[in-house]
Amino acid sequence: MSVKIGFIVNPIAGMGGRVGLKGTDDVVDKAVKLGAHPVARLKAEEMLREFSVFSVNHHNVIWITCDGDMGNNELETVGIKNKQVVYSPTGNTTSANDTKNACKKFLESPPDLLVFCGGDGTARDIFTIIDKKIPLLGIPAGVKMHSGVFGITTNATAKMLQEFINKQLTVGDAEIMDLDEELYRKGEWKVRLYGIAKGIIEPTYIQVGKSCFESVSDDEVKDEIAEHVNDELEKHKDWMFLFCTGGTIDSIAQKLNIEHTLLGIDAVYQKKLLAKDVNEEQILQLLKKYPKTKILLSPIGAQGFILGRGNLQLSPTVINKIGIENIIVVATPSKLIHTPILRVDTGDKRLDHRFANQGYLMVVIGYRLSRVVKLQTNSF
Amino acid sequence: MRILFPDPLRERIILGGNMMTQITKRNPNKFLKDEFDELVRNHLEWNIHVLESGSQPHSIVDGKEVIMLCSNNYLNLSNHPRLIKGAIDAAKKYGAGSGSVRGIAGTLKIHTEVEKRLAKFKRTESSLIYQTGFAANSGLIPQLVGEGDIVISDELNHGSIIDGVRLTKADRAIFKHRDMSDLERVLKDADKKYRRILIITDGVFSMDGDIAPMDKIVKLANEFGAMTYVDDAHGEGVIGEDGRGIGAHFHIEGKIDVEMGTFSKAFGVVGGLIAGSQDLVNFAYNKSRTWLLSGSHPPAVSGAQLAAIDVLETEPEHVKRLWDNTKYFKKELNSLGFNTGGSETPITPVIVGDAGKAKQLSNKLFDEGVFALPIVFPMVARDKARIRTMMNAGLTNKDLDFALDKFERLGKQLSII
Repeated sequence: MSVKIGFIVNPIAGMGGRVGLKGTDDVVDKAVKLGAHPVARLKAEEMLREFSVFSVNHHNVIWITCDGDMGNNELETVGIKNKQVVYSPTGNTTSANDTKNACKKFLESPPDLLVFCGGDGTARDIFTIIDKKIPLLGIPAGVKMHSGVFGITTNATAKMLQEFINKQLTVGDAEIMDLDEELYRKGEWKVRLYGIAKGIIEPTYIQVGKSCFESVSDDEVKDEIAEHVNDELEKHKDWMFLFCTGGTIDSIAQKLNIEHTLLGIDAVYQKKLLAKDVNEEQILQLLKKYPKTKILLSPIGAQGFILGRGNLQLSPTVINKIGIENIIVVATPSKLIHTPILRVDTGDKRLDHRFANQGYLMVVIGYRLSRVVKLQTNSF
Repeated sequence: MRILFPDPLRERIILGGNMMTQITKRNPNKFLKDEFDELVRNHLEWNIHVLESGSQPHSIVDGKEVIMLCSNNYLNLSNHPRLIKGAIDAAKKYGAGSGSVRGIAGTLKIHTEVEKRLAKFKRTESSLIYQTGFAANSGLIPQLVGEGDIVISDELNHGSIIDGVRLTKADRAIFKHRDMSDLERVLKDADKKYRRILIITDGVFSMDGDIAPMDKIVKLANEFGAMTYVDDAHGEGVIGEDGRGIGAHFHIEGKIDVEMGTFSKAFGVVGGLIAGSQDLVNFAYNKSRTWLLSGSHPPAVSGAQLAAIDVLETEPEHVKRLWDNTKYFKKELNSLGFNTGGSETPITPVIVGDAGKAKQLSNKLFDEGVFALPIVFPMVARDKARIRTMMNAGLTNKDLDFALDKFERLGKQLSII
């Protein structure tokens, strides 16, 4: 049976890096003037080549793509003939609008998976149009790749694509992260969660017989984690809980019927929403009234950050007041496969040091089920 | 005319020209076929092989004579004349069934004899026989821990342990396979938070044939005041002096809090067992619901169990033969160029890599008269698909050479070696 794969390359992704621009959003001309060379095309071709070598059934793939360097040229170079061009960029240089317009075309007859080549900016542009309608897989080629939809390397992306086609991987949630580039070029680092897309993930398996396993959907695993959190809420009736950003926490809140801000932090007390989308100042105010507080966190994005990327409201002052022993980290096993190391970058060296001394963190991965995961404090 | 609509709950029946709508109740059995068909579509159903002979070194499987490399009858005791006689004699003396559960009127003298002899064999204070190994794990584990306790478990533990753990109200934490620093990290964390800590591990891991470092686990457990529980199903009768199991293997007999095992593998019969202190046994039979609520073993089973212990104590040649066979088979497979992983036991994986190839090799081996099953993802990593062979003390050198010859020829044919 044939598989339809959408394929889009952001030809200018990754150009800023070599000339020290930290991204090409809004500054393409400047990057070109500084002598930036296109890297996305090479990365895309590298992935396609790897995939063609790996995959025995790559002939069953129909590629839906865009003209020129937005996909067609790359497929052509690698010798892939089974393709249809559904979009042609209008001007000489491509822009974010071309990415978005191409995505609108893809939606007219949605492929099974949309493979794109670019960075966080590209992922964000695609997500704006595609939302959760098509699962995404990113070939990392940009300057910043914090989003959870990227393969770790071009090679790993090719392998994931092959496994998706062989139905070994399944569809699950993946975060789209965004760095404020304007602030970043000025020297400030602010990564935030932009939204939850569909990505492809390793299914979780449980042993149901002697040598017989059953795969469990991501949703079932999250049900188990929600059940666990529910027990925690019931055990600690006089505690406030801060439900932080991210897809895993969001689904837990939904399952517990607690209203939750996907991109923000909510305060919950006795399973009721106390305050919505709170900032640092508001958290500090709440802590005066509710000194006993637990933080419910989940790693966000591709690098496994639990603090320091997104969740910036959890400032060092807030964490010191609450105490690191009151942080509950939850993650689905499929997520931990891709982010086997958790990272912390609070901006406060002394606090980072306390995490570093711990070295490991217990992470809840199911109902009453946890495992230790290595913790690193170097910023990524 | 009868038109069926795809909606499972409502089915309209149109009769003649007059339209009569009838809403039927749900079909309570429909899922049985649906779910089975789904398994078949995904090639996940069990294909049951039928043995026309007993489980013998040369068995007749689905009408074909094959060399048996996938039974757990490691020592070939299921065919031993003393075990067969033990079964017959006990049946003659005590009858075919036991009449009751152990707790009420189903404890026969022969049951208690087995327990005494087993404790002596295991060099522990006491022992208790369960109906099966699964009944031991799923009956005892949930009683050892409860709310406010934690079970710490090797990530590759067997399914029956996992089920036992699922029945508890205790928290659970996983440590990396045989990784003592990871176990120590979990213990350190658990030490502060929990009332009781139970460390659970397989003794011999059935997929790779590697052995849990029980001496180190016991040492760590003592440091943190944790209880130790080992499922030695594949080690019982195989490792340790005269097959006394993992305690004897590490010379720590009596130091593991719960040594759990089975009579269904190397012992050649059926039945679960635990060995440990008298306190453990008193606690276990009063609390294990599986033990209390299922009928006790038929006397023939106990008679054969007793004879199996006799044989192990008086005929060391079976264990020796098993290991001679294992060493020879492993060595020859390796010199042929096969990757046999890190096995330390008579479970020898022949790692093929690709799942399709592993299945193909298994099928072809069967056609050529060697019975060994493939193990593929998710039981093992995707690129580590394998044929799992389990040695049998009843196989002769000629049998092993026959099997090795087939492995060599088919391995070359499939470009594995």
